[in-house]
Amino acid sequence: MIKIKIKCFSQVKYALGKKELVLELESGTTTQEVEKLIRKKANRNLDIVSLSVAVNKKYISKSLVLNDGDEVAFIPPVQGG
Amino acid sequence: MVKVEIINGPIDFFPLNDNRDQDGAEIVFNGRVRAAEYDKIITALEYEQYEDMAESELKKVAKKTVKKFAIHDLFCKHRIGKVKVGQSSLHVVIRSKHRKEGFIAMNYFISTLKDQVPIWKWAILEDGTKIPSDCTSS
Repeated sequence: MIKIKIKCFSQVKYALGKKELVLELESGTTTQEVEKLIRKKANRNLDIVSLSVAVNKKYISKSLVLNDGDEVAFIPPVQGG
Repeated sequence: MVKVEIINGPIDFFPLNDNRDQDGAEIVFNGRVRAAEYDKIITALEYEQYEDMAESELKKVAKKTVKKFAIHDLFCKHRIGKVKVGQSSLHVVIRSKHRKEGFIAMNYFISTLKDQVPIWKWAILEDGTKIPSDCTSS
């Protein structure tokens, strides 16, 4: 098993009602699988929201196998400026 | 030279520099909070960041801009936290030999910032309700 931290921002935070989640997952779990889980937890409120993924505060372009202690963020469209 | 800063509080603007005798252009942009986000009247925006990653991405975008265009300096301050209507949330200064590359670089920098830097807006409505802003436009 691995334990990971999910950081939630903007629409993800609004949909889940939390700014952070800690999940215990099977070893070998990927970011893509966790994204599906997060979208399911959001009860369809993220269905039309595109999410980029960051692992340990760096954007990733392809799904990755997660490691124990990783910090993951599913990043909704950003709005700086 | 690149300087970027994310700050929680009013922006202390970068001073203009009269000693840059190789630069013919000094372009300043201040992004301010409008009184409405699409069809909703607001009193303020609250900016949320992904701590550390936002500043790191902002620096990457600034360095990329300086490398891509013929400009000498790019200084940027971005606020987080609550910013009232009319106040500045973003302050950028670009110095270049000529104005043309400075304006193009400014446009590129702000557009890329809006596409990559993990900062979000929450709209504070007149009744105090806070909701994620709909605004994702350029």
